[in-house]
Amino acid sequence: MSRQSMLTIFGALALVVGLTGCYESSDVTFFEAGKYQGGDDPLLQKLEDPEFRAGLDRRFDGQRDR
Amino acid sequence: MARMKFLCDADRCIECNGCVTACKNANEVPWGVNRRRVVTLNDGEPGEKSISVACMHCDDAPCAAVCPTDCFYTTTDGIVLHDKDLCIGCGYCFFACPFGVPQFPEQRAFGSRGRMDKCTFCAGGPEEPGSQAEFEKYGANLIAEGMLPACAEMCATKALLAGDGDLVAEIFHHRSTSRDGRPQTWGWATAYGAGLS
Repeated sequence: MSRQSMLTIFGALALVVGLTGCYESSDVTFFEAGKYQGGDDPLLQKLEDPEFRAGLDRRFDGQRDR
Repeated sequence: MARMKFLCDADRCIECNGCVTACKNANEVPWGVNRRRVVTLNDGEPGEKSISVACMHCDDAPCAAVCPTDCFYTTTDGIVLHDKDLCIGCGYCFFACPFGVPQFPEQRAFGSRGRMDKCTFCAGGPEEPGSQAEFEKYGANLIAEGMLPACAEMCATKALLAGDGDLVAEIFHHRSTSRDGRPQTWGWATAYGAGLS
């Protein structure tokens, strides 16, 4: 085998090995939150109250420019 | 159902840090922790922009996804809260959060982490609203009192908006479309913007 063909094969091998490192997995890992393990928040019930909700919405709506 | 969000109008924010102060005052935030920060781009140069940043209350919160003790929960309004009694101070949420929101007060020797502290949208935590226990752990619960978060209540220029994402977007849209539609003889641009850049 000639010196030139050996260099060509060696170069091709080096290129393949080099490009292997450029591989990027396209699989995306999705992490999902587990089930909440803490205590209950009484605020959640309060937010369900339509009257309280309406008052809160009015307050938020007051941020409009006058 | 509403999705509570913050929105900071960079054209209005004047970097007064009133929101940061209001937050610290209302919640008695631990020393060394800032639940809200004002970030300024091109500080000191003409045309600099400032925005006030706190927890974004993400729809798919990465902090909640990585928490090994599952101490995070999301209210029906989309506010991301956590139970400090379950927090072990591992710091995973800090690494997961793209905004660097979770912070840990140094309470013990050798700089070991205390329980995580972050913006609660002034909605407290899993304790009786307005109770001393809630205040000591999470700070004020202004939402239960029918108020805006302290930072948005305090913002002098109304740069910082808080509330349902749709409402906040509508207010901002109205502002941004009408901002240049009137003469600026003595307006905002004259005072802070025109002729500077």
